[in-house]
Amino acid sequence: MVQFSEEKLTKVKEIIARYPEGKQKSALLPLLHLAQDNFGGWLSAETMNYVASLLQIEPIEVYEVATFYSMYNTKPVGKYVFEVCQTGPCMLNGSDQIIDYISATLGIKPGETTADGLFTLKTAECLGACGYAPMMQLGKHYREHLTKDKVDTIIAECRAAAAANN
Amino acid sequence: MSDTPLFKVTIDNITIEVPAGTTILHAARKIGGDVAPPAMCYYSKLEGSGGKCRTCLVEVSKGSEKDPRPMPKLVASCRTTVMDGMEVKNITSPKVVDARASIVEFLLLNHPLDCPICDQAGECHLQDLSYEHGKDGTRYEFQRRTFKKHDIGKYIQLHMTRCILCYRCVYTADQISDKRSHGILDRGDHSEIATFIEKSLDNDFIGNVIDVCPVGALTDKTFRFKNRVWFLKPMDAHRDCPTCSGKVTLWNRGDEVYRVTARKDEWGEVEEWICNDCRFEKKKTSNWVIEGPRLIDRHSVIAQGHYAGKIGLTKPTETFSAVHHGRQPKLLMDIHSVSEVNQTNIDLSSINGPAHSNNFNVNKY
Amino acid sequence: MAKALQWIKMGRKLLLEKAHVEGIRYYDVYRREGGYRSVEKALKTMTQEEIVEEVKKSGLRGRGGAGFPAGMKWSFIAKPEGVPRHLVCNADESEPGTFKDRYLMEFIPHLLIEGLIVASYALGSNATYIYIRGEYAWIPDILEQTIAEAKANGFLGKNILGTGFDCEIYVQRGAGAYICGEETALIESLEGKRGNPRIKPPFPAIKGAWGRPTVVNNVETLAAVVPIINEGGEEYAKIGVGKSTGTKLISACGNINKPGVYEIDMTISVEEFIYSDEYCGGIPNGKRLKACIPGGSSVPILPANLLLKTAKGETRYMNYESLSDGGFATGSMMGSGGFIVLDEDQCVVRNTYSLARFYRHESCGQCSPCREGTGWMEKVLLRLEKGEGKLSDIDLLWDIQSKIEGNTICPLGDAASWPVAAAIRHFRDEFEWHVTHAAEAQTRNYGLAHYADPIHVPA
Repeated sequence: MVQFSEEKLTKVKEIIARYPEGKQKSALLPLLHLAQDNFGGWLSAETMNYVASLLQIEPIEVYEVATFYSMYNTKPVGKYVFEVCQTGPCMLNGSDQIIDYISATLGIKPGETTADGLFTLKTAECLGACGYAPMMQLGKHYREHLTKDKVDTIIAECRAAAAANN
Repeated sequence: MSDTPLFKVTIDNITIEVPAGTTILHAARKIGGDVAPPAMCYYSKLEGSGGKCRTCLVEVSKGSEKDPRPMPKLVASCRTTVMDGMEVKNITSPKVVDARASIVEFLLLNHPLDCPICDQAGECHLQDLSYEHGKDGTRYEFQRRTFKKHDIGKYIQLHMTRCILCYRCVYTADQISDKRSHGILDRGDHSEIATFIEKSLDNDFIGNVIDVCPVGALTDKTFRFKNRVWFLKPMDAHRDCPTCSGKVTLWNRGDEVYRVTARKDEWGEVEEWICNDCRFEKKKTSNWVIEGPRLIDRHSVIAQGHYAGKIGLTKPTETFSAVHHGRQPKLLMDIHSVSEVNQTNIDLSSINGPAHSNNFNVNKY
Repeated sequence: MAKALQWIKMGRKLLLEKAHVEGIRYYDVYRREGGYRSVEKALKTMTQEEIVEEVKKSGLRGRGGAGFPAGMKWSFIAKPEGVPRHLVCNADESEPGTFKDRYLMEFIPHLLIEGLIVASYALGSNATYIYIRGEYAWIPDILEQTIAEAKANGFLGKNILGTGFDCEIYVQRGAGAYICGEETALIESLEGKRGNPRIKPPFPAIKGAWGRPTVVNNVETLAAVVPIINEGGEEYAKIGVGKSTGTKLISACGNINKPGVYEIDMTISVEEFIYSDEYCGGIPNGKRLKACIPGGSSVPILPANLLLKTAKGETRYMNYESLSDGGFATGSMMGSGGFIVLDEDQCVVRNTYSLARFYRHESCGQCSPCREGTGWMEKVLLRLEKGEGKLSDIDLLWDIQSKIEGNTICPLGDAASWPVAAAIRHFRDEFEWHVTHAAEAQTRNYGLAHYADPIHVPA
C-alpha cells in the first residue's frame, strides 16, 4: 500500500500551499519527485494514482506528466542509476568511451539493469555540466571529469554502500 | 454583440468584414472554397484546440492598417485573430504552398500506408490533405514508427501508428465527456495516445472522439471492417434520446444500419455531440426516424453512391432502361455463384465484431 | 600603459566579483560584502516605474539566449485590477554548452535572490518562483537555505524592510525537459502539466502562470539587476559596447585548457577569449582550432577562420553584435553564452549528429514539423556519420531543416535547424567526404582541412 508518512504529508501540504488556491495541480512535479524518492526510485501506477488522489486530479493527468519528463522512471530501475551525458560538449570530451566502458564493466547496455538489481545504465542528454565533461548523474549529485579509473571507483563505492546497507 | 467593431480583412485578394476577435481561419471559411486553409488539429467546438499541426499556416503580408508591417513568419491561421486592414495570403503565397506541402510530408512521414485496410479511408482528412496539398512519394527511407498495441475497450479501436497527435480526442474527453481516462503519454516523436494502464474508454459521449479524429487512429469498433464508407448511404435520422439530441447520420446499405455518427458540417466538424447509446447501440432502422439523405459534398468519394449532393443534384432520369428503350440491364454473373463471401442471407451489420471469412463459410455451420 | 588600462577595463566584473570570497554563499558574508544594498535602495527610495526605467536605461538584454531587452519585457506586463502578477526565474538552464546559471546559484546564490526581490518589487510579484531544471537536484537545497536566510533577515516575507511589500520566493524543480526553458513551456510545467509550449499570443506578460500576468527572466538577467540598481542604469550601460551593455557570463567548454564560467565585459576578441590564460587558456595538446559554437548548441557553428575574423576581415569580438556580424551566412550568435570549442580532431558530422539527437530527444512532440523533422534529421545524420549516406542526403538535410525553421510553435524548431544548416553551410566538404570516403571516415576524421585558412576579403 502506497502511503506517505505523516511527516511527508506535512511536506506535501506545504508544497501545495506554494501555489494559488485551487491550482494544486501545480504541485504535481514536486510531488512526483517526492514519491519517486520515497517509493523505490520509480513511479508505479499505484504510486501515480496515489499522487493523483492527493491532488484531486485524474490519474491520466499524472501519467501524462510522468511520461513526459525524463527524470521520472515509470519502470523499476536499479539501486544506482548511472545517467551518462552524451550530448555535444560531453561527446567532444569522450563520453562515448565512458558509456562503452561502463557498459563493458557492468555487462549491460544503456537502458538495462544488472541482474543483481544494483545498477542501471542510462544515456542522458545535456545535464548542464559541459565544462566538467564527461560526466554523469548519480542520484542527487553529479560525478564530473569522468575517467575509467573514476568510473571504477564509483562502481566500487556503490557496491560497498550497498553491501553496508544489507 | 452589436458593438463589436467590424474588421476588414483581405484573404487571397478577397476582402471581407468580420467582427473583431475572429480568427483568420474563420474569416477565410466565411469566404469559403480554396481560400479556407485546411485544419487538421483545430476544431471550432473544442476550446484550446489548434496551432499544433501547422497545416493552416498562412502569410500575413500586411499586419493591419495601423501597423502595415508583414509578420516575419507564417502564422497558424486558426489561432491568429484578424486586425483591421490585415492582408493575408493563403493559396496565393508560394511560401505557404511550399510550407504546407512540407507539413503534409512531415505528417505522412511515419503514417502507415494502410489506407486499403483503414476504415477511415474515404472520409480521412489526411487523405484529402495529401491529395490537395502534398507531393508524390516520400523521401523518408527509414522504418516507420510503431507502437505497442493497446485495447481501449469494446467501442473504440485505437491505431496509434495512424495518429497525427492533433490532441482533439483529448480535448473532447475533457470537454464533452464527464471524465478523461486517455491522454498523450511520452514525449516527442514517441508521444502516443494511451491510457497507461489498460483501460477501456466507455464513459458516455466518449464515442465522439471517433468523429473528431481526423485520421483512422480512432475508429468505431462496432463498424470495424464491415464496409467501406463510400458503399454506404448516409441518412439523417433522429430519435428521442434522453441523453443527447438524438440527431445523427445513419450509414446504411439497404435497410441495414452499419454505423451511426454525429452529423458533420462542411468543415467536417460535428454539429451536435451524440451519446454512446445512439452511436453504438441503436443499429436498427426501427430505432430511428429517417429524415432523408444526408447532403454530402459532391467532391467526396462518399457522394458517388447516391445522388443528393451539396449543390442539389437530383436522381438522373436517363437510366439504363430509359436510354435502351425499356430494356432491363442483364445480369452477367451473380457473384454469389462463385464466392461465398458477402452472402445476401447474412446480415453484415449484425455480425459481432469485425467481419471475417469465417462468417461466410456456410459449410462450416 | 594603454594596454594596461585596457586590461583593467577588461577585468571588470559585476556578478562574479565576490564569487570567490570565502563563505559568500551565506548571508553574513554576502551582506558584509555589500549584499542586499540594491533591495534597500530600490524598496525604500524608488518607485516600481523608476526601477523599470533604470533597467531600460541599462540596456540589459535577456541572458537566456534570445537577448530581448529586459526592461522592455518588464514594461509589457499587464496590470489588471485585482489580478496577482508573478515573476518567474528561469533556471532551467539546459542549452548544451551552457552552465553559467548553475555556477551563479551554487556559488553566489544570494545575488540571485537579491535580484529577484528587486525585480519582484518592480513587477509587483508577491509570489515569485524559481523554476530550476530537475537534474540540478542539489541546488534547490542551496536556494531554499538562501531564501530562509534572506527571510530571517527581513528581506523576504511580509512587509519587507517595513515598506509594506510582501514577497515569497518558491523553488520548483523541473524533471528533465529542455523544452521547459522556453518560457511558456516553463509556465505549463510550473502549473503541473506537460511542458508543451503555448501558442502565442497571448504572451505571458498578459496571460502567464495561472492566467495571470507573468514575467519570465533568466537567472543571470535577474542577478544583473543588482549592479544596475546599485550603480544606476547609465553606469551599467557604459560597460560593454553598443547594444551589448554590461557584463556577460560565458560558460566555456569543449577542447580548451580551462573550461569554466567567465564574466566578460563584451569588449574582448574571440581570439583572446580562447587563447589568453585569463580565460580559456588555449587548446590542449597543441591542437589547432577547427570550429566553435559560440553561444550554446542552437547557434550556428563557425569554422575557425570565420570565428576569429568576420567575413569583412575584421576582428570578431565577444558581444551580441560582433558575433552575429554577417548574419547566418558568415556569423553566429551570442545566444546563452555557451561557448563550445572543437579542435582539429573533432568531426563536425558527428557533432552535428549528436546535437540533432539532442533536439529529437527534447522535442515536446506537439507540432508536426518539429516532432517529425527532428527525428528525420537525426536518422539521416546518423547514416552519414556511419558512412552509409548518399550525397543527396546533404541536400535532403538542408531541405528538412529549412522546412522546420520558422514553421513551429516555439523556437525549438529553429534551434534544431540552425546547427544543421550552419554545419552544412560551412563544412559541406566534410559531409561530402563522409560519403565519398565512407570507409576512411570510419577510421579517421576529416581534420582541420582548410577551415582555418584566411578568408579572402574582397577589396
